[in-house]
Amino acid sequence: MKVLNRLMLVAALVLFVSVIAAAQEMTKEEWQKQISDYTARRDDLKNKLNALQADVDQLKKDDAAKAEALQKCNDELMALVGGEAASVKAFEAMLDQIDAKLNELSRLSDQELWARRAELDAVQQMLDGVKKNKLSALPKYYDRVKEEQNRLDALRRSLESAEVSMTYTVGTWAKDRDCLWNIAKKPKIYDNAFLWPKIWQGNRDQIKNPDVIHPGQKLTIPPKADLTNEDKSAVRSYWRKKQAAEAPPAAPPKK
Amino acid sequence: MKKSLAGVIVAGAFLATLATGCSSKTTAEQMKQLDDLKAEISSLQRDISAKESEKAALIKAIADKDAQLSQCEKDKALAQERLQGM
Repeated sequence: MKVLNRLMLVAALVLFVSVIAAAQEMTKEEWQKQISDYTARRDDLKNKLNALQADVDQLKKDDAAKAEALQKCNDELMALVGGEAASVKAFEAMLDQIDAKLNELSRLSDQELWARRAELDAVQQMLDGVKKNKLSALPKYYDRVKEEQNRLDALRRSLESAEVSMTYTVGTWAKDRDCLWNIAKKPKIYDNAFLWPKIWQGNRDQIKNPDVIHPGQKLTIPPKADLTNEDKSAVRSYWRKKQAAEAPPAAPPKK
Repeated sequence: MKKSLAGVIVAGAFLATLATGCSSKTTAEQMKQLDDLKAEISSLQRDISAKESEKAALIKAIADKDAQLSQCEKDKALAQERLQGM
């Protein structure tokens, strides 16, 4: 009897717990409501997706049309300047060459630039050739050519100021004690008298005899460097002639 | 006392069963249908998000091309002017 009561108690408890659990499951009415809600939501989303797809399709067409119009414009622009792929490539290569040359010349000291001043004229010729090319009318090249010309002009200006320091106007012996030795000794020239042959060799058109220079002569001062073999050879020749000129005349043979 | 207590518990459980057992429950199949619908909604939301990104990218691409086209027209006019001066 006791056991039976206990069993009945357990069974009731189990039954009670299952009932509680069952109460948490969805009812059919609840399910139906959720199905309706979610279905409506799904349909809305499908409509939205379809509308978006239509927009995207139209935008793709517009994008393609724009790309075509842009290509057409670029083709017309190139036709205007007679630009074909090969000529554009050659033109750009020429500009790169000018740019590289100007970079090289810009890194030189005043003295070095002075020594290589003829190269500025060569660059100017290249630029003039580029300017005659119709491709230079294109904005991307026009601006670049203009910039290169500005750089070249700046180099010329620095060369002009270098020219002042790279030339020397001979003063008088009385006042300035100007001779090639003393000029080379000046700090702003070579600060080294032994380099006088460089001034002589750099002005052979004006100075026949290195002992003779005249006030007012404008001498080019070559860049400071060691004497070259030609300089040394000229000096040796000069000393030989000088010694020969200063040697006493040979005595006539005795009869 | 104990007998009456057991009896009350059993009666209470029986009544509760009656009360909850009156309304019908969803089947497993119906619950799956609901879950599938929810999954479809999630998928649609992802698709919409992707499509909106694609749309935005296309709008930007078209705007970029418009700017390039405008610049190209200006370049043509400038080039024409400069060629006349050459």
